[in-house]
Amino acid sequence: MFDAKGFVEEKVEELRTAIPGRAIIACSGGVDSTVAADMVAKAIGDRLLTVYVDTGLMRKGENQYVDEMFRRLGINYEIVDASEEFFKALKGVSEPERKRKIIGERFIRVFERKAKEFHAEYLVQGTIAPDWIESGDHLRDTIKSHHNVGGLPEDMHLQLVEPLRDLYKDEVRKVARYLGIEVCERQPFPGPALAIRVIGEATPDAVEIVRDACAIVEEELEKASDQGKMERPWQYFAVLLPCQSVGVHGDRRAYGKTIAIRAVSSIDGMSAAYSRIPHDVLERMSTRITNEMKADVNRVVYDITHKPPATIEWE
Amino acid sequence: MKVLVVDNGGQWTHREWRVLKYLKVDTKIVPNSTPFEEVEEADALVLSGGSPSVACEAGRMGNNGVYLDRFPGPILAICAGHQFMCTHFGGSIGPAQRPEFGAAALHVLEEGEIFSGLPKQFQVWESHNDEVKSLPDAFQVLARTDDCPIEAVRHRSRPLFGLQFHPEVENTEHGYEIFQNFLKVVESWKR
Repeated sequence: MFDAKGFVEEKVEELRTAIPGRAIIACSGGVDSTVAADMVAKAIGDRLLTVYVDTGLMRKGENQYVDEMFRRLGINYEIVDASEEFFKALKGVSEPERKRKIIGERFIRVFERKAKEFHAEYLVQGTIAPDWIESGDHLRDTIKSHHNVGGLPEDMHLQLVEPLRDLYKDEVRKVARYLGIEVCERQPFPGPALAIRVIGEATPDAVEIVRDACAIVEEELEKASDQGKMERPWQYFAVLLPCQSVGVHGDRRAYGKTIAIRAVSSIDGMSAAYSRIPHDVLERMSTRITNEMKADVNRVVYDITHKPPATIEWE
Repeated sequence: MKVLVVDNGGQWTHREWRVLKYLKVDTKIVPNSTPFEEVEEADALVLSGGSPSVACEAGRMGNNGVYLDRFPGPILAICAGHQFMCTHFGGSIGPAQRPEFGAAALHVLEEGEIFSGLPKQFQVWESHNDEVKSLPDAFQVLARTDDCPIEAVRHRSRPLFGLQFHPEVENTEHGYEIFQNFLKVVESWKR
């Protein structure tokens, strides 16, 4: 159906002529951008610098994991701490499209600085088909502005190179397996990261809450699927909702936040069905989140909506 | 065999292209503003879905009407493409009594080539606000869901097919087989 080997050979050849000079690649450590980094490195070697941005919005342990993974991959890379500048730009902003556009622009500003230092004219991105489809164009409505397409500022000077534009996630995974890339089976994670899993303003405190809840959801669902209780969902995470509700903690009134759990099965992210999680697994997540995070969260709900009508992420 | 996918701005236009590519068809996505002369040499057309509400935004459907009038070969019209085709030949559309998104159970009434060899009932994936309310005489209904009586149609004398649901998405069962059945129609039409 899809020929990963043929794809890599053709693209690496194309990339050699498409990038005559130096390039940087925006790499989150996810499947798409890591595959793109590996392919471009094969084409232009040390003329490529891989840049990972710590936005302050990443998952628990992610910065360290990516650092080690890049080292194992043996590529030329740099990790940039830009968390302060991202939180500053997001201050007071709650509208999801604004959040996505602000994040898209911040990324580009960081990449422009790094490109200047490295004397690069090209910016490689791991953009895949759903990114530009959902971002909209003259024919298509905007469903959400993906940071790497609809979130790009108009005055950007770097020339874009996007070798994976026509592929979907399942195809990128096939390429990743062919290239022997260790992150080939990692679940998708959006570029705007935890900022769009906090509904409303993404303050450092709110991001911290959703980061902890995401870690519990990931741990428990991975454990349950490893034990054969369920199929591992395509994507699974927590969302912090902007509402509070009444609870009771040790005979005292609790007025806490609500976490929604989202888990879906999909092939390509363009359509999805909510995952049939066994009740004991749901219960375990709920108990852990409300006990371990009792200072903030006193209620957990499970999202049972397909795509469409919902999208996978909430924003 | 060459099949062009006419892009009406759907979320799943590129998926239609992917399914055809996987079925080893020579295929390309073209905008719906493409002049007829540039689509004429294809063996078949797929008219994609899209966000236009066909009843009041027919302008956004570009040259779909020209293709339907002048293209001699088979056409598979999906979602907004299907709605446009039905109105173009004299049917009517309007807001769906119960809009469908996500899973729905399709009931096949007539195989009509496009459902050849498939079960009488299977799950399909939907995403529509409007629906076809009445069909022109030249068309017959092939399938329905519980909430939408006109889910699949075919022209009685020309190789034109319309589907309200989306055979190109992974969650629709037998989607590839529906495309394969369409390609069989294209094969026999070429002969």
